[in-house]
Order: sequence, then structure tokens, then C-alpha cells
Amino acid sequence: MRIETSRFGSVEVDEARTIRFTKGLLGFPGYTDYVLLEAGDESYFWWLQSTQSPELAFVVTDPSLFVPTYRVPVREPQLDDLGAGSPDEVQVFVIVNKRDGMLTGNLQGPLVVSVHQRLGEQLVLSDRRFTTRVPLMELAGKVRAASA
Amino acid sequence: MLVLSRQRDETIMIGDEVEITIVDIRGDKVRLGITAPRAIQVHRKEVYEAIRRENADAARVQVEDLRDMDRQLQDNHRRRPGETNGAHRRSVNP
Repeated sequence: MRIETSRFGSVEVDEARTIRFTKGLLGFPGYTDYVLLEAGDESYFWWLQSTQSPELAFVVTDPSLFVPTYRVPVREPQLDDLGAGSPDEVQVFVIVNKRDGMLTGNLQGPLVVSVHQRLGEQLVLSDRRFTTRVPLMELAGKVRAASA
Repeated sequence: MLVLSRQRDETIMIGDEVEITIVDIRGDKVRLGITAPRAIQVHRKEVYEAIRRENADAARVQVEDLRDMDRQLQDNHRRRPGETNGAHRRSVNP
């Protein structure tokens, strides 16, 4: 199917690749359907693009690339909601933001997506180590320690 | 909004399955004990609000912003190929 996007123009996407967030994302309850668009060949990121609103898109990444110790406790009722038989059938993403010269990830509100059913949910974690603005890296413009 | 007065150790029922007990009252701080089925998530409202705000903010990131972030990440990776604690690529299914 063809979808309209404000960032990428008109894009042809496979309808079977749609991810449905039944409850929407927090603050965006009406928007349930998204597709993942590759940000580039070598990119560490994807765009989670709404198929219902051209302007609505989020940058997401695989948090394990940045924070290897990060674990999301997905509980049984949530697995059931996602139609996943086990935690192995769930892929975790976090929403990425650019803030004050930093690249930050929302590790407190991860997105979990069932790989087969393609159902998603934004979780709310109580673990206070993981905030909504965990620095993933410092962006250019700041002095970096040389590693000669 | 329904407003109820409760004393220490008294409980409020919400539906048949959610119990909220006043565990302790000290000054302006009240400690609550909450019993709910596992399917019902219980969180501090501030956490929800923080995630909601962050979502709204992250929805404003544009293609140029990501391009900057991505380019630098790839540069860093090339510069330090042996390092394992930085980002490394992995395929993602969805």
C-alpha cells in the first residue's frame, strides 16, 4: 500500500509489515498503525512512521546496541496481549531524541513488538535506573578525548 | 472525582480486584499499599507524564537531525573498530 509521509514523501510499504500498537503510544492514543522505514544502508536507526498521519514519525533504535545491560521485563499478560508465546518472540525498540547536543533514548518507555503477530505496546518501567532521557552518545561539536 | 476519607489501615476497593490500603501517614506523606491483578499495571503518574512528554518531543525530530546523529555514530564506529562497548550493528527483523 502507498502511504503519505511529511518526511519521505509518498512511500510504498508492504501492508503485512504494519505494526499495530493497539493502545497507541503514550500521548498518541488514536494512532495505532506504523511501519518501520530504514533510515539508511548503514544506519543504526529506523523511522517508526505512522500510516495514519503523514507528520507522525519517531526515530527508534535497538537499545542493546548502546546499552548492553538493558533488559525489559516483559510480563506474561503483556506477552499474551502481543500474541507472543515467549520473550524470544518480542523485539525491543526505544524512541530516540536529540537533546542538548546529546542523543538520548527513552529507556523508561520501551516499545515491545511481537515479531510474528506484529503487535506493539509501549511499556512503562518502574526501574529508576532507566529514565526517559538516557544519553546514548554525545553529538559532534564537543571536544572528545583523543585516542591516539 | 470521588473524594473519600480514610484512616490508617483502611482500604478502598476499585472494582472487585483492586485494593488500595493506607499503610502509613506521616506529615504530608501517605504510604499506599496496592493489590491488583498482574494484568493491571500500577505506576506513578509522573512516569507516565514523563514518557508522554518525551514522546511528544521525539515526534519533532526531523530527517536532518537523524542524519547528523547517524553520520557521527558511523564515524565513531569506524574510528574505533575494535571496541565492543560502543554500538555495533545487528540485524533487526521487524
